[in-house]
Parts: sequence; C-alpha cells; structure tokens
Amino acid sequence: MKASLTDLRHRLPVETYVAGLTVLMWIVLAFSSPYFWTGGNVTNILRQVSIAAVIAYGELFTVILAGIDLSVGSVAGLSGIVFAMILSAGYPILLALVAGLAVGFVIGTVNALASDRLGIPPFIVTLAGLQAFRGLALLMSGGMTIAGLPNAIGTIANTTIFHIPTLFVVMAVIGVCSHFVLRYTRLGRYMYAIGSNAESARRVGIDVTFVTLVAYCVSAVFAAVGGMLLVARLSMGTPTAATGYELQAIAAAVVGGASLFGGRGTIIGCFIGALLFTTIGNGANLLGVDPFWEMVIEGLLIAAVVYLDNIQKRRQAGIA
Amino acid sequence: MKNRLLLTMAATAAIGVGSAAGAANAADFSKARIPVIVKATTSQYWATVFDGARAAAKVLGVKIETQGAPAETDVAGEVSIMENAIASHPTAIVIAATNAVALAQPIAKATAAGIPVIMIDSAANTTKFVTFLATNNETGGQKAADEIARCVKARTGKAAGNVAYLTALAGAQSLNDRDKGFVEQLKKYPGLKIVDHRVGNNDASKALSDSEDILTKHPKLVGIFADNELEGDGAGTALSEKKLGGKVCLVSFDTSSQEIKFVRNGVIDGLIVQNPYMMGYAGVWYALAAAHGAVFPKFVDSGVHVVTKANIDSPAMAGLLDPKKYKLTPFLGD
Repeated sequence: MKASLTDLRHRLPVETYVAGLTVLMWIVLAFSSPYFWTGGNVTNILRQVSIAAVIAYGELFTVILAGIDLSVGSVAGLSGIVFAMILSAGYPILLALVAGLAVGFVIGTVNALASDRLGIPPFIVTLAGLQAFRGLALLMSGGMTIAGLPNAIGTIANTTIFHIPTLFVVMAVIGVCSHFVLRYTRLGRYMYAIGSNAESARRVGIDVTFVTLVAYCVSAVFAAVGGMLLVARLSMGTPTAATGYELQAIAAAVVGGASLFGGRGTIIGCFIGALLFTTIGNGANLLGVDPFWEMVIEGLLIAAVVYLDNIQKRRQAGIA
Repeated sequence: MKNRLLLTMAATAAIGVGSAAGAANAADFSKARIPVIVKATTSQYWATVFDGARAAAKVLGVKIETQGAPAETDVAGEVSIMENAIASHPTAIVIAATNAVALAQPIAKATAAGIPVIMIDSAANTTKFVTFLATNNETGGQKAADEIARCVKARTGKAAGNVAYLTALAGAQSLNDRDKGFVEQLKKYPGLKIVDHRVGNNDASKALSDSEDILTKHPKLVGIFADNELEGDGAGTALSEKKLGGKVCLVSFDTSSQEIKFVRNGVIDGLIVQNPYMMGYAGVWYALAAAHGAVFPKFVDSGVHVVTKANIDSPAMAGLLDPKKYKLTPFLGD
C-alpha cells in the first residue's frame, strides 16, 4: 500500500505539483487579502490569464518539437497593429480579423521553412523575427498608438457570458481544440515523436517538414490571436504591445511540464503555468509586494519548478 | 514664473535693440541660420517641436534647418549631425540631446567655437550652453496632485481619501521627477493618503492589470495618478471597464488619442500636457537673442498645462492636443 502510494507520487506529472502550488497560493491569498476571493477579482484573473495562455499554447507546439518561437511577442504586436489600422480605417471587423490571422500564418510559414529547409536553428530564425516584426509594427504605425477603433471591439472583449469573460471563453475554446489535436490525433503524436527524436521520426516516414510547418504556423497564428485580443481589450493598437511576452509564454509552458529538449508538454500544464504567473502578479498587487521582488519571485519559481521536474524524471527512470 | 517673465523681457530687449540699431542689423537677421536638431524625425512630438520652430523662424525672418536622426536610439547619428552643424558656423544651435553623455562634448565644442547652444527637452551633461528649455516634470507632478485634490473635493465635498499612483518605467529621470512632484505636493492635502504604487513596463496592458488589482484592493480609492500616456490608457480602460469613471479621479500625463477620448467621456479627469510647440518656438527666439548678446537663466520651464473636460475644447488648449490647431496665445497665466 505504502509502496504503491510512493509509486503514485513518483509518477504524478509536474502539472499536479504546479496546480497544487497555485491552489495553495489561492488559499493563502484568500486568507491574507479580503478582496482576493471576490467575483470582481476572479473575473480580473480570468481576463488577465487569457491572452498570456493563448500565446503560451502556440509556443507549446514549437517547444514539443524541441524548437522554440521567440517571435511570438513581436508577432502579437504586428498583427495587433494590422488589425487596429484596418479597423480604424473603417473596414469591417471580419476583414481586420482575417488580415491579422494572415500575418500570423505567413510568419509561421516563413519561420518553419527557414528552420527546416534552410537549416537555420529556430532560436536564431525567431530571434531575427523578434527584432524584424517589432520593427515592422513600429514602421507601419509610425511609432504611434492607433486609436479610434469601433466601440463594438472593446465591448466584445470586455463583456461576460454567464459571468465568464469572453476573452476567457475564446482562450478555453482554443485550449480545448489544441488539447484534442495534441492528445488524440496522429498529427499530435507525430509532434511528440519528432520532439523525442527527429531522426527516427523521419526514418519511420513522418513528414517532418509538414509537421514543423503546422507547429510554427499554430504558434504564430495563436500569437496573432493574442495580439488582436490585446487590441480589443485596450480598444487601441500599440506597436510596443506584447513586448517580452515570448518569455512569459516559454515560462508558462516550461513550468507546466514542457521540456525545452522536446517531446514533452501539455496544454493543461501550459494553462496552469500561465495561471500561476497571473496569480503571482495579481497576488503581488493585492498584497502590495514590491514589483521588483515580484520579478525575483517569478524567476526563482521557474528555476525551482524545472529542478523539481528533473528530480521527478530521474526518479521515474529509476522506477522503470 | 518669474523666470519666464524675465526671459520674455530679455528676448524682446535683444530683438528690440536689433531693430532700433537700424536696417543693417535687421538684414543680419535674414542671414541668421539656426539648425534645430531633435532626437527623432519620425515622431509626432518632435514634428510639433519643428512646427513651433518654423513659426518662430517666419516671425523673426531667420532661416532654420530642421535636422535629426530617424530614431532616438541613434546616438552616433545625432553626434555627427551636431558636428556637421558646428562645422558650418551657424548663428546659433537649438538641440534636444538624445544622450546626456554623448552630446556633452559636441555641445561644449560649439560653445567654445562661439556658437550659442539652446538645449530643449533633454539636457546634456555640460555647463557650456546658453539655456535649457524644457518641461519641468516636477511641476507637472505637482499640478497632477492639485488636480486630483480639486476633483476629489468637487465630487465628495472634501479633499480626502486614498490615492494610488502608477509609474510607467523604473529608472527614467523624467518619470522620477513627475512622481516626486506628485508625492511632495500631495502632502499639502492632509486628507489625501497614498496607499499604493505600482511600477509598470511601459505597457498599457500591464497598466490595465495593475489598475484593476489596485481598484480591487482599495475599493474606497478616490484618485489615481498615471505618469505617462500608456499608464493613462491602461488605468482609463480599467476605470471604464469597472464603470468607475465618475467615481475615481484619474489624472494622467500626455495626450494620446485614447486619453483624449477618456477626458471627453469623463473617465479621465485631467491630463497634464507638455508644450513641445513652445520648445521649438521659444527655442529659436532665444537662439537668435543669445546670438545677439542676451543672457538667460540656465533653466527655463516651457510650461505644463492641465486639460480637463471643461477646457478641452477651448482654443488655448486645442493646439496642445493637436499641433495643427496651434495658435499663439496671449499670456496664459500660470
């Protein structure tokens, strides 16, 4: 009995620990701040986590492939600017949406082809993108904020459906679809296979180029969605929006159990990772923690979780 | 205030001497050539500085050369523009230093070559210049505190309650000055208490989350001060999301189009507005006067104004919000 319990504890995925930590944090916050567990604050957390989670889901696809996408923040900024400029020029929302998604799709294709066909490491390809797409966003907008969007945009982003913010609903739908693809489709299994060992995946006949293309397109398109949600939320486009979000996305994925060496990571873990960081930010504000300390805490947390995960993996290996 | 008056007198005197001395001196003015060098030629703010400089050049009948690197980050670019300007021996130079250290040497060199230098907006680390004409950010912060006090008093009958403020970025001198002015001035209203302070990432979305959390934590908050436009955009969005526009007094720096919209629909109570047009306009006047012997105090305030719903459509403020509508006004008072 005792042995099987230990066994179970060793087999629990890292998501469980992170989820436990998040819940623990909620309990502590509920006792230390009278405002934490109020309807308004819960709605705030749901809104705040949504955009970060959508971008993190996309990032996860590339991380599973043992790749990385450093350009997601800049892609979010660029597609947000395209979206906002089309809207402020008076064109219909649907057109703006399609254009924003197209930006993501094109960038994803370029990233995938450059890394798979030209053989440039994804780290470098997307690092170049991080710089270039931010530059494009600044160029297109002349460095200015784009305002004058139709009121409907802000309303869509800030309403609730049965008390759940629409932003969160969008994020949940994207999350469920992604989870389904990764978990239950052949394409999803190919991704994990390539991430574990690209060469053997190629030898058993998996079309690595195609799967890579899908992963980088998903990453960039989700980033584009995140960028447009950000514009909707603020009712304006800022060329510097979403700066640094790539690191948040990677942190959420890794804390949620994904491995930068590929082959591991889940959407649920990714969501919990994003939720943990949002909770820390929200809690720090409610408790009045110095914002500089907040950064230190987040950093220590990333290191601690990955360390825990490593121990866990070694134990699992020992048991097997 | 006193400084400004003194200056106007000095400038008028210098130009007056010019015209009194006769036609020969007046002809000198038409030969006067003043490069106006800004930090970045691509931004609206600096375009407004150029507009002001052109207006002054027209009135004075002098020639100006509008110059600058394409981006504020191109420090080396501005240094070479400055060096070329010195080599061309202009009447005077008006410059906004992109980098306080890198531009110190070239500015001192110009002064040594007998070319008066008027610094605008941002100073360089040198004492070899005529005057530094810029927004007094501390005064701006003080005005923000006064405006919050006025607004709270107008809404609740007395200037009392909890106040929070948002800093856009850690380590920026202009923002530190704004915050310092705000915090110091608020002490003059014993009823108003600062209960929270958040430092952002110059990111409207972070400002929005921070503001939401502040409003959750302090349900009785009566005022928020946001020290630049992205913080103002974020805090304004939080207030309008929570429908607290008429309850919490929000005062913010700058004039983004979003902020102006928020003033019109009552979410933002007051905007603290700088006057880049006047930096260009007065900068060229001072440059010409200095080239003819006028002496100025080392620092001149180019003015900060408070824009509220009550005065947002007044002609005096229209030009501060939209430089195309800028009209030179008579003395506005303080």
